[in-house]
Amino acid sequence: MMAAVGAPEVISQLESAAKVLMAPPSMVSTEQRQHAEHIFLSFRKSKSPFAVCKHILETSKVDYVLFQAATAIMEAVVREWILLEKNSIESLRTFLLTYVLQRPNLQKYVREQILLAVAVIVKRGSLDKSIDCKSIFHEVSQLISSGNPTVQTLACSILTALLSEFSSSTKTSNIGLSMEFHGSCKRIFQEDDLRQIFMLTMEVLQEFSRRENLNAQMSCVFQRYLALANQVLSWNFLPPNLGRHYIAMFEATQNVMLKPTESWRETLLDHRVMDLFFTVHRKIREDSDMAQDSLQCLAQLASMHGPIFPDESAQVTYLAHLVEGLLNMINGIEIEDSEAVGISNIISNLISTFPRSVLTALPNELFASFINCLTLLTCSFGRSAALEEVLDKDDMVYMEAYDKLLESWLTLVQEDEHFPRGCFVQPAVQVFNSYIQCHLAAPDGTRNLTANGVASHEEEEINELQEDDRELFSDQLASIGMLGRIAADHCIPLLTGLLEDRVTRLHGQLQRHQQHLMASADPGTVDRKVLDDLYEDIHWLILVSGYLLADDPQGETPLIPSEVMEYSIKHSTEVDINTTLQLLGSPGEKATSIPGCNRTDSVIRLLSAVLRTSEVESRATRASLTELLSPQMGKDIVWFLRRWAKTYLLVDEKLYGQISIPLSTAFGADTEGAQWIVGYLLEKVINNLSVWSSEPELANDTVELLVTLVEKRERANIVVQCENWWNLAKQFASRSPPLHMLSSTVQRTLMKALVLGGFAHMDSDTKQQYWAEVLHPLQQRFLNLINQENFAQICQEEAVKQEIVATLEALCGIAEATQIDNVASLFSFLMDFLSSCIGLMEVYRNSPETVNLIIEVFVEVAHKQICYLGETKSMKLYEVCLTLLQVYSKNNLGRKRLDVAAEEDQYQDLLLIMELLTNLLSKEFIDFSDTDEVFRGQEQSSGAGRAVSAADVVLYGVNIVLPLMSQDLLKFPSLCNQYYKLITFICEIFPEKIPQLPEELFKSLMCSLELGMTSMSSEISQLCLEALSPLAEQCAKTQEKDTPLFIATRHFLKLVFDMLVLQKHNTEMTVAAGEALYTLVCLHQAEYSELVETLLSNQRDAVIYQRLADAFNSLTASSTPPTMDRKQKVAFLKSLEEFVANVGGLLCVK
Amino acid sequence: MADPDLDFTSGDAGASTTYPMQCSALRKNGFVVLKGRPCKIVEMSTSKTGKHGHAKVHMVGIDIFTNKKYEDICPSTHNMDVPNTKRNDYQVVDISEGFLSLMMDNGDVREDLRVPEGDLGKEIESKFAAGEEMLVTVLSAMGEESAVAVKPMTK
Repeated sequence: MMAAVGAPEVISQLESAAKVLMAPPSMVSTEQRQHAEHIFLSFRKSKSPFAVCKHILETSKVDYVLFQAATAIMEAVVREWILLEKNSIESLRTFLLTYVLQRPNLQKYVREQILLAVAVIVKRGSLDKSIDCKSIFHEVSQLISSGNPTVQTLACSILTALLSEFSSSTKTSNIGLSMEFHGSCKRIFQEDDLRQIFMLTMEVLQEFSRRENLNAQMSCVFQRYLALANQVLSWNFLPPNLGRHYIAMFEATQNVMLKPTESWRETLLDHRVMDLFFTVHRKIREDSDMAQDSLQCLAQLASMHGPIFPDESAQVTYLAHLVEGLLNMINGIEIEDSEAVGISNIISNLISTFPRSVLTALPNELFASFINCLTLLTCSFGRSAALEEVLDKDDMVYMEAYDKLLESWLTLVQEDEHFPRGCFVQPAVQVFNSYIQCHLAAPDGTRNLTANGVASHEEEEINELQEDDRELFSDQLASIGMLGRIAADHCIPLLTGLLEDRVTRLHGQLQRHQQHLMASADPGTVDRKVLDDLYEDIHWLILVSGYLLADDPQGETPLIPSEVMEYSIKHSTEVDINTTLQLLGSPGEKATSIPGCNRTDSVIRLLSAVLRTSEVESRATRASLTELLSPQMGKDIVWFLRRWAKTYLLVDEKLYGQISIPLSTAFGADTEGAQWIVGYLLEKVINNLSVWSSEPELANDTVELLVTLVEKRERANIVVQCENWWNLAKQFASRSPPLHMLSSTVQRTLMKALVLGGFAHMDSDTKQQYWAEVLHPLQQRFLNLINQENFAQICQEEAVKQEIVATLEALCGIAEATQIDNVASLFSFLMDFLSSCIGLMEVYRNSPETVNLIIEVFVEVAHKQICYLGETKSMKLYEVCLTLLQVYSKNNLGRKRLDVAAEEDQYQDLLLIMELLTNLLSKEFIDFSDTDEVFRGQEQSSGAGRAVSAADVVLYGVNIVLPLMSQDLLKFPSLCNQYYKLITFICEIFPEKIPQLPEELFKSLMCSLELGMTSMSSEISQLCLEALSPLAEQCAKTQEKDTPLFIATRHFLKLVFDMLVLQKHNTEMTVAAGEALYTLVCLHQAEYSELVETLLSNQRDAVIYQRLADAFNSLTASSTPPTMDRKQKVAFLKSLEEFVANVGGLLCVK
Repeated sequence: MADPDLDFTSGDAGASTTYPMQCSALRKNGFVVLKGRPCKIVEMSTSKTGKHGHAKVHMVGIDIFTNKKYEDICPSTHNMDVPNTKRNDYQVVDISEGFLSLMMDNGDVREDLRVPEGDLGKEIESKFAAGEEMLVTVLSAMGEESAVAVKPMTK
């Protein structure tokens, strides 16, 4: 080992550097600071700094220097591990530990750093058979038994350091070793050492829990060991044989469930362990910090599963003990705020971990008490959560706990067939009632009441970013809806009654307001408090009803929930169908005023209660009371109707084993009920669109309801029979008020709906007439306008511009309506417009808003249609896109704009162009055109006169985009991502086109790749690396040397080589970089050898030289000579991993 | 405004310089009159007072001539004025004392437009000094005009 030559000089140099670094910013210059940083950096990189560091630790008084010395030791040990004598490593470790023990007053950060160095040494040594680091546990247990709190704390710190060093590759110090190394260390550790740590911890906790009173210092030690126990129980046990990628993925999981290996059986199945944690919690539950740890330990124990249990009966015994302990703990105490989340975690973990068969095997009485306790707890947390909302607390602990418990209920009742029949009905009633109660205003409910019954009512500003309750509380509502189904007999009539009552009151209230307004005509005098309370009640009742009656699965046909179906069937004998239909068909009348209303189907009655709400709303708008209405309630109504219609409208009997007669009679195919309701919904939509154009969200929900009505052929067939539908179509086509006041997104979706409706079943005359009403006016108006002789002169007039913008918006909507069965006709229709649009590009070249909208039409068409297009049609689209790009390019060449728009918006056109190019490229990945002959008969002989290819268009586009993409623009994330997505796509899809690029373009493409590889986010860097292999393969294919691409790839070889071998890189990137390196090595074998030679020749140290030389040899051993062969590539990647693990750390040394 | 050259059959002579539009139908990057000035909308968001309140629109606009920022908030049912805007390309024939001489479509030359301030103005002046032929785009709204873009003449 190097003697401490010049140690005093080193120390004084480091100490003065530390002074600079610690000085306030005003006292030192940036250069001084950088210089000081540099001194420490090079100190840490110095070779064998052990003697100097020891000397520093023993003599220096500057904490920061001590810290750096500890860091230097840690880094050097790992770096020089194989060169060091084993006994000198051991003595180093002993030195560090003794050092800390002898200096109880060390600064905390210095101590932790030294212990970290110890932990790193132990870890690095754990796979090295030649060195034994186990003695550390013996030493630690001696420290613990000393009874001295300071020493015990230190012992805890050592164990904590070891634990986090071994726990995962993210927490571990960067010691330049492979994931496999970390994985193996972890596996060995968790089998033995971890359990030792756990046993030591349990001893300490046992000891403390016996003491009567703990002083502050003791309880501090107690707390640290409790936290340590929690860390052990939260250990993410690594299963055997998990590959490198999986290790990374595995370790990324949050909320680790306890899944210990079999060897832990004796330790953790010992009941005394669980009992100890219950005892500990009882002792410290009033200390909120400690209680969190003890409850978390219990929650981890509640999540235990896997090979630790020899059989199911062991699981049952364990769970029974856990549940008993839990009930004992909860019963008879008043739960502290800080306990709520912890307790709900225990319950939620045990319900989601233990199989149903184990839960049902619990003794009946125990299970019943558990369910009872869960019910009471849920209701109580729900009430406390409501209080938190009233008080607007930042930390919503009860809300979190309530969410957890409701989620657990969902898990329980979703598989309720495993449990005794009906055992969840009463609990469901209770939880449901308490939820409704918390959400209704007084006197029925407790909404907005504080604990002492005072009502609080605040009007806060709500911005558009705030989620609607139906999304914000979707998890809660889904659970409550599910519980409502379980107890349908109680819950459906309850909701109906409450909603009917509120609607009647709302109706009365609005009438009073109307009379009042007619008398005084001053809307300012209206007190909205009563109205708002009613609206809020109705809001929650509709949300719960929606979640109870139907699901909203993405992408599949939702079914009527079986519980609801059974409920309706069960009562169908008591139901009078005609009265039911009468009730449904008269939303303007009070439900209770209909004779025999109690002999109606309850499911239908709940829907009709919502229809009654809708009717009150519509009538109020007709009476010019819109200002008094709640747009939120309007949204709730159409949201409900949409969800309902997807599930119940035209109910398909084939999908159900048994069907309720009232439901099929009222809503089945070919029923008057279905026709009536479609007509009603359509009227609602039309009314909303004209009344609520000023409420963007409500208008949007409304138009989405319309889309739902027409997106399914069966429903659309009925819709197009309604006169209203035709009126809507005509009105929209004529661009007359009020529809043209809707926001552009709503207008687009409306267009989409109108087009979808056109594909419903109609006789050919009707169909022709329909298109003549919907699409032809659009075309006609457009053609009339642009073909006017003076169009060039009038094009800037506002009315003309508006007409053009409306047409372009409509075209986007039409493209959005594309489906596989209508693409043929829509494509032809849109193509006619696309050519005219190019003309508009010329006319409106000075109006960026219009230009962007035109490009957007192309983006949409390409996005929605290209995957269905056959060769000839694709070609047509490519051609027209190419022309668009040409015009765009001509108009933008050398253009300078003074644009007041916010930064990123200025480049909207660039972004859109790149999006268009990427969409065109996507055909190479997703192409349905071969399997589905959607253009049957229309497709001409393929390949004839192949004029333009996707590659031509895209490369031409890149030609335009590249020169405009400056480094500054790449700072905008959206532009940067889109740009790199595009250029790496191109390299992957058309590598053969790259060498043909014009010189300038080629150069900037290569520059972009280099830039992306070296100085962008890791995601982009990875994209660029992935683009290199196809380029290198392309070179290999042509076998031409000295082409620009060949030379460029040579440069990339050096870059990737340095990246992998010399720089600390992101381990995620090793695969992408490795693949790139391999293909590049194949292409440039001589250059690669040269790089290796140069690197080796720089090594002075013979030992290191040999290690490196060996490592490089074995790196390529399995692939000599390297060829572009998959098998060899895989072998190379494997060796590369070993290579990085072996010498990666070594090469980082200066 | 009563420029006879701009008066064609369906022309806008005497037409209003603005037209009304419901607030909710305005769009980002579109135009609106804020505090009497023609602005480009650079930010638009909605909010409401209380869960059952009606939407209000909050707009931030930048004066298209002075680049000054204006804000406004109003109920989404309100009508706002939207300026009629026009963009025309003219060839630059001369620059003197800070004014551009521009050739109109009919061959007439107008000399009443200032060289814009900032980078764009410098660009125009340096291009002109270098003898390059160029077109400037002139944006007009509510009786005001300004050059907003420049590009080389296409041969």
